[in-house]
Parts: sequence; C-alpha cells; structure tokens
Amino acid sequence: MSSMISINNVNKWYGDFQVLTDCSTSVSKGEVVVVCGPSGSGKSTLIKCVNALEPFQKGDIIVDGISVGDPKTNLPKLRSRVGMVFQHFELFPHLTIVENLAIAQTKVLGRSKEEAEAKGIKLLERVGLKAHAHKHPGQLSGGQQQRVAIARALAMDPICMLFDEPTSALDPEMINEVLDVMTELAKEGMTMMCVTHEMGFARRVADRVIFMDRGHIVEDCSKDDFFGTPRSERAQQFLSKILQH
Amino acid sequence: MNYNWDWNIFFKSTGIGNEIYLDWYITGLGWTLALALAAWLVALLLGGLLGVMRTLPNKWLSGIATCYVELFRNVPLLVQLFIWYFVVPDYLPESVQIWFKQDLNPAVSAYISVVVCLGLFTAARVCEQVRTGIQALPKGQSNAAQAVGFTVAQSYRYVLLPQAFRVVIPPLTSEFLNVFKNSSVASLIGLMEILAQAKQTAEFSANIFEAFTLATLIYFTLNMSIMKVMSIVEKRVRIPGLMVEGGK
Repeated sequence: MSSMISINNVNKWYGDFQVLTDCSTSVSKGEVVVVCGPSGSGKSTLIKCVNALEPFQKGDIIVDGISVGDPKTNLPKLRSRVGMVFQHFELFPHLTIVENLAIAQTKVLGRSKEEAEAKGIKLLERVGLKAHAHKHPGQLSGGQQQRVAIARALAMDPICMLFDEPTSALDPEMINEVLDVMTELAKEGMTMMCVTHEMGFARRVADRVIFMDRGHIVEDCSKDDFFGTPRSERAQQFLSKILQH
Repeated sequence: MNYNWDWNIFFKSTGIGNEIYLDWYITGLGWTLALALAAWLVALLLGGLLGVMRTLPNKWLSGIATCYVELFRNVPLLVQLFIWYFVVPDYLPESVQIWFKQDLNPAVSAYISVVVCLGLFTAARVCEQVRTGIQALPKGQSNAAQAVGFTVAQSYRYVLLPQAFRVVIPPLTSEFLNVFKNSSVASLIGLMEILAQAKQTAEFSANIFEAFTLATLIYFTLNMSIMKVMSIVEKRVRIPGLMVEGGK
C-alpha cells in the first residue's frame, strides 16, 4: 500500500526540552492508526506536526508526497486537504452550524455558497444533525459539536483525517455517538490517525497501534500484537492500568 | 451665595447678528460631533490594524505597533495637540504649509489638527483593546482556522476578528466616550466646539454657572445616548448559546 503520511526521524524541542525524539512511522492509504500513551508523551504534539500546526526542528514529514517541513510548501493548501478534529471541537462560535461547514469550502476551495451549504447539509444528515443546521455551536451538546467538527473536516473532501483526542472533553454518555461516526468513517476506507485513549475503539477499528512515552515511539505494531503481546514493559504497564476496568 | 440663576439666558440675543446663545451651543455640538466621529473613524481603523499587528508572529510588525502604542499613550494629549497644531505644519512641504496656514479657513485647519491628534492618540488605546480581545480567544480557534486551510489573513478575517470585536465592544464603547470628552481640547486652539462655546457664553453673558451647566448636560446626554446605543449593538451581535448563559 502506498504511504499517505510518512514521519521520518522527527525531533522537536520547546526551548531545551525535547518533546519528540526520533519519531518515525507511517500511515498507509486507507489505514487506521491509533496513537496512545500517557499524558505528556508527545502524541498530540506529533499529530499536530503532521499538518504543521506545530513546527518541528529536525526530520521530515511527507503527506501525500508533499514535505510538511519544507519552507516552500504551501501550508494552507496542504492543510485544506488534511481534515483535523480537536479535543475541544473548536467550531467557530459566531457562525451557525451550516456556516461552519460552508465557510472554508467557499473561501479556500472556491465553491459557491449554494454548493457548499448543500454539501454541508448532506454531511450533517450523515452525522445525524441536520435539524441543528441553523443553530450556533454554543447551543449544541459536546457530542453534537464534535460530530459537527468531523463533518466540517469532511466537507473539505480530505485525503486523510487527524483526530486529536476527539472524545477526551466529552461526557461519558456522548463518547459513543462520536466513536460511531469515526468507526463508520474508518469502514468507508478513510485514512485516519487518531490520538485517543479509547482502547475499545482501537481494538475494534484500528489496523495499527502506536504507543508513545516521553517523546519516543515505543511500540508501533499491528492491533493484534499490541493487545496480545506488547513488547515493551512500559506499554504493558499502560495497558494494565487502563484496561483493568 | 447670592447668585441669580437665569435659565432664559440661552434664549437671549448674543448681540451678534440675530443669534441667541443657544445657537452657539448648537454650532458647538456640530463641531464636537464632527471632531469625535472623524477621530473615532481614524482611531478604529488604525487601532484595529495596530491591534492585529501586535498579535502577529512577525517581530517587526508587532514591534512597530508596540512602539506606536508606547509613544502615543505616554505623552499627554494636550502636548500632542500642540505638536500637531503648532510644530508639525512647519515641517510640511512649502506648498502644503501655505495651503494649511493661509488658504484654509482657520477653523478647518484647527479641525484637521484635532482629528489627526485625537485619532492617532485614541488609536493607541483601541490597539490595546483589540490586542487583548484577540489574545483572549482560545488558542484552538486559530489552530482550527489554519487546519481548515485558511491563510493567516483569512484566519483573522473570518474567525478571530469577528469574535474579538464582540469581546471588545464594551471597552471600545468607553474609548468612544473618551473621544467625545477629549474633543474638548480643541477649545484650546480656538475651535468653537461645545466647551469653547460655553466659555464664550460665560464671558459674554456673565452667566457662568448656566453656561457650563448646559455644556455639562450636553456632554452627559450625548455620552449616555452612545452608551445606550452601544449596549443595543452589543445585544444584537451577541452569539447565541455563548456569553448569554455565561459561556462555557
């Protein structure tokens, strides 16, 4: 399979503090990769490096053949093709739901307002929120907002999707509605890189699991290997802590 | 204190043409409005631009804006006015100088000086309000704007500024009121706005208390009305589901 995201020896420092050390991995087209690990392990930072929301000092990341770290790369254009979903949703609160879905389509992709809104409504229908199209984000629950955020990313027809702890800020009863949308997306063949603690989701949906600790990629293996026989002691500890309930 | 209050004074003849004193105040109100509105327009546009500049990652742009703010905020308004009115014109090219000092109506050249002075002074203050408004937004908003493919300019235009301006309406309102109050410095270079008219009325009629009471009332009413209008604007642009319930 051809590689959609390829991360090669990425190093990143905040001042003297090294947050990422020699991180290398890749995500193939159509693959679902879950990135997990304790807080502060650098997983969110790594995923934000993929669309250059966070700069990195060494190594390189290639997305669909384009180098993210190259100063000549047109980053807005690259980012418009990579969907991203954030922990805190980050919908634009001053716009209605359908405007949230349409604005980047019109301003970045140059689609007409009618076309963009029609596509937006179609995606809202898909995530079960068509009835809320004309509300503002503040009037929706967290789970609903996150589903809208996924729809907003899909509206740009992304070549792959990045999820940065999409369910961490949600009340427990809303987590599943978001995971269901993500599962469906994965089944349709979307290339996905997800930072998440939802091990049930990883077990059901992921092709591969990456385990990070203190800025290093400690494990990078198939889902079955990870849940069956993780090689590193650190990953075993992590799993035993989060799987015991 | 023996003082004979005479509120009819405003309807009495000034002795100049057919004018009554009230006419002077109306003219004065006209100048005050013309000054404050023009200066506010300058302040809002320039201050908005500077405020954005101060939040940009580019060190040069934010540095320039910071210097501007420090310069204009730390020199008294009156000193700035005298510089704009008495000093700066002497350094203009000769043709402009002749136009400004001789061809223009003296009231108009004074008006231009005050608008420039007050506009640039207030811009420094507006800049700081806009900057804090932008910086108060969650960092994730600018990340999200970039993640959908917006350029930096588009992020500001479509995501950051529409939210920041809503946040800063109350402090901007108070700057707007300050512009009206500060416009009274124009009286010191002979522009006949409200304060100058009140002083003249006091001198001509000797009804000093009435003269300044009316000026006070005019300023007060003007500013109260602006506050009312701005609070209506604030409610109008309020984001549904946000701020009303205290936000989340």
